[in-house]
Amino acid sequence: MSKTIEIVVDPRGGATVRTSGFARSACREASRFVEEALGLRTAETLTAEFHQGLQAAPRLEQSN
Amino acid sequence: MSHIVTIMTQLLDPAAVAAACRRLGLPEPVQGVAKLYSGEAAGLLVRLPGWVYPVVVDAAAGRVRYDNFDGAWGAPEHLHRLAQAYAVEKAKIEARKRGCSVVEHALADGSIKLTISVGGAS
Repeated sequence: MSKTIEIVVDPRGGATVRTSGFARSACREASRFVEEALGLRTAETLTAEFHQGLQAAPRLEQSN
Repeated sequence: MSHIVTIMTQLLDPAAVAAACRRLGLPEPVQGVAKLYSGEAAGLLVRLPGWVYPVVVDAAAGRVRYDNFDGAWGAPEHLHRLAQAYAVEKAKIEARKRGCSVVEHALADGSIKLTISVGGAS
């Protein structure tokens, strides 16, 4: 899957940045340069893809 | 999508302000001091169509000063267009610095979409 950063700039100048194709938290690092260049972050939403690959915490069971 | 971030655009880069002016067909911005209705302001002076006073961009502070008297001395749409053009040009400048390719599309609602391919050639 190709790695892309999509930016939509609305008619008033506000920007929305979306990433696609990055594994887990790599997307945050990938788009940071453009987010910081444009101005102030006002909100962030993590999507299902962000969480993909995260391992569930191991379940501990006592057997004695 | 992995994550979605919303950003309030700040005019921080004089080169991107100049690129935005060229994009909109405005005069090249000049550094100087402008007399506004209430006082003076120093910075990059941008002349918007039909505006009585220039827009003054203090890029170092990310601050924009203007007097348009709630639209009577200048249509706010022109200022919005400047902010939009700035954000588009700034994003393209930063992407190209990193060797990324950028594709631009105009959307039906007046928004502009940029698609940056990470790892692609510019």
